[in-house]
Amino acid sequence: MRIAFLLAVLAGGVFYTYVAFVDLNFLTRTGRLGPGFFPRNVGVLIVLLTIWALVDALRAGRQDQPDAGRWRDVIVLIGLALCFAVALRLFGGFVATVIYLAVTLSVLNRGKFVQNALLSILVPTAVYLLFDRVLNASMPPGLINILPI
Amino acid sequence: MDIFGDLLMGLSIAITPINLLYLLVGAMVGMVVGVIPGFGPSAGLAILLPVTFGMDPTGAIMMLAAIYYGAMYGGTITSILLNTPGESATVASTFDGYPLAKKGRAGPALVMQAVASFVGGTVGVILITILAPMFAQVSRSFGPPEYFLLAMMGMLTLVVMIGNHWKLGLISALIGFALGTVGVDLESGQGRYTFGSAELIGGIYFIPIAIGLFGLGELFYSFYVGMHRSGSGGIVQYDKEAEFWPSAHDWLSTRMTMVRGSILGFVVGVIPGAGATIASLMAYSTERSMSKTPEKFGTGEMAGLVAPETANNAASSGAMIPLLTLGIPGSASTAVLLAAFMLWGLRPGPLFMEQNPELAWGLIASMYLGNMILLAVSIFAIPLFVQIIKVPYRLLGPVIVVICALGTFSVHASFIETYLMFAAGIVGFFMRLYGFSPAALVLALVLGPLAEEALRQTLTISRGSGMIFLERPASRWIIAVTIMLVIVLPLMSRFGKSAGEAEKAGT
Repeated sequence: MRIAFLLAVLAGGVFYTYVAFVDLNFLTRTGRLGPGFFPRNVGVLIVLLTIWALVDALRAGRQDQPDAGRWRDVIVLIGLALCFAVALRLFGGFVATVIYLAVTLSVLNRGKFVQNALLSILVPTAVYLLFDRVLNASMPPGLINILPI
Repeated sequence: MDIFGDLLMGLSIAITPINLLYLLVGAMVGMVVGVIPGFGPSAGLAILLPVTFGMDPTGAIMMLAAIYYGAMYGGTITSILLNTPGESATVASTFDGYPLAKKGRAGPALVMQAVASFVGGTVGVILITILAPMFAQVSRSFGPPEYFLLAMMGMLTLVVMIGNHWKLGLISALIGFALGTVGVDLESGQGRYTFGSAELIGGIYFIPIAIGLFGLGELFYSFYVGMHRSGSGGIVQYDKEAEFWPSAHDWLSTRMTMVRGSILGFVVGVIPGAGATIASLMAYSTERSMSKTPEKFGTGEMAGLVAPETANNAASSGAMIPLLTLGIPGSASTAVLLAAFMLWGLRPGPLFMEQNPELAWGLIASMYLGNMILLAVSIFAIPLFVQIIKVPYRLLGPVIVVICALGTFSVHASFIETYLMFAAGIVGFFMRLYGFSPAALVLALVLGPLAEEALRQTLTISRGSGMIFLERPASRWIIAVTIMLVIVLPLMSRFGKSAGEAEKAGT
């Protein structure tokens, strides 16, 4: 996984550097340093250092054996967070938060039905009151309006 | 106007019912942020920054600053009672803090850490009061070469302190610089990496990245290391009635430790990139080497707790100097504070204190009051924070996700920024997992545009010659100090860490 992550960084670095050399000028028409000056330097350094780090990681070998138990929990949390991001757009801030907390707590805090139910209602209510009423900040509106808030 | 006049003016601004309320809320939130392991002041500041948008700028900045230095107070409570530092700057406090608690002296340890934090924080603010105007005066002679070099000094110091993973730290910083180049180039007007998107013309916004990296990224990492499974069962119980207050010996034996820790911490804090973690480790090792009984360190020696505590609080005050007088943040937390200033259209720098005396001196005056509030809260609200420690991480985690998402959305009512925050959270998790530095990325994202502009101006002035950096006396000084710091700081930090590890191994 470490090597895969470094490869992803390298791919991003190569793309960034490619754009810097192809699309951005090193000098302006008046002969001053142009918009490509800084990105070219930064891009080349990212590519070189990432290759160096990659070589180090390959030499070190596969030291990071993935621990399935550790990964399962974090993948579940990341997956649920991404579902929450989608639900925010679909159902709006309040309803999406209720659904997200109900599902996530039922996974992470198994068996505590009353506690989970209470938290799934009380936290979104408190957050709604804080953001929408006290701070006058906007809550995400939903494409499907289940509740008029 | 003299310093006392300025300070009195600042106090008149800070001592209003609403500002005192903001200060109290900031102090309490900072303590809570510090108490939650794996959740440092950078995350707390980034997440709570959107909450301050409806406030008056002075009150908001005071509250955010209180969160920043309040986290240093809170972080130690878990170091003492749970042997788990609330945040990295309180790692050194576990070396003697936890052994003290195990010996049945949790009460005196908690009180002494509060007093030490108060002394460190207050000495730090006194030094800010005296030195900030002088720093501002000196920095007025700085031009683009010096600003570029100062930005590089901050980045290099941060990267070398990462230690073995310095390459990954440097890559993180370069990614931050790269992200900082997205948007319209202000000199030529040409779009860079916008790919025709209107959302990217203004650049990649700092807040979603900071919230994602520090809030969600840290949360995912905490789940990865199993923090949601480990309960608070290992928490050391303490007696609130008997044996709660420190003895006369505790006070007398640590009075000079507090003075040394405060001064050392402040000096380290002023250095961009060094920060409170380094300051606390250095103070611990210094105190141990000066002690007549160094063998007692690591077994529950009060000086071993007091030294890092005074130092990390003094360092957090010291870090305000480059922020206020140069506009250069020395850490991820102060980078978020800088973003807060900029959100209100304020640009810290050499003229900041002269042009915005009410805000600058109001902030400094509020730090005196904030430290007093934190002293009282730290001693008398310990049971409350112990209850917070007991809240399982599996319940806190989902709530943190909700606050991160809704907080990000509330800034510009933008779903794109909210999705960017989630993406930054996932990237932040992998960065943390594989030894990259989210702090270096965020700092570079803030410093990048400043560094690029300064470098381009410098090379335009010098007609492309890099020798300009050696021709100007101020630049030469900055280069010399940078070289010295790059060599000395890692050595001192390693010395501090090895001192702590040796003591722990001995117990």
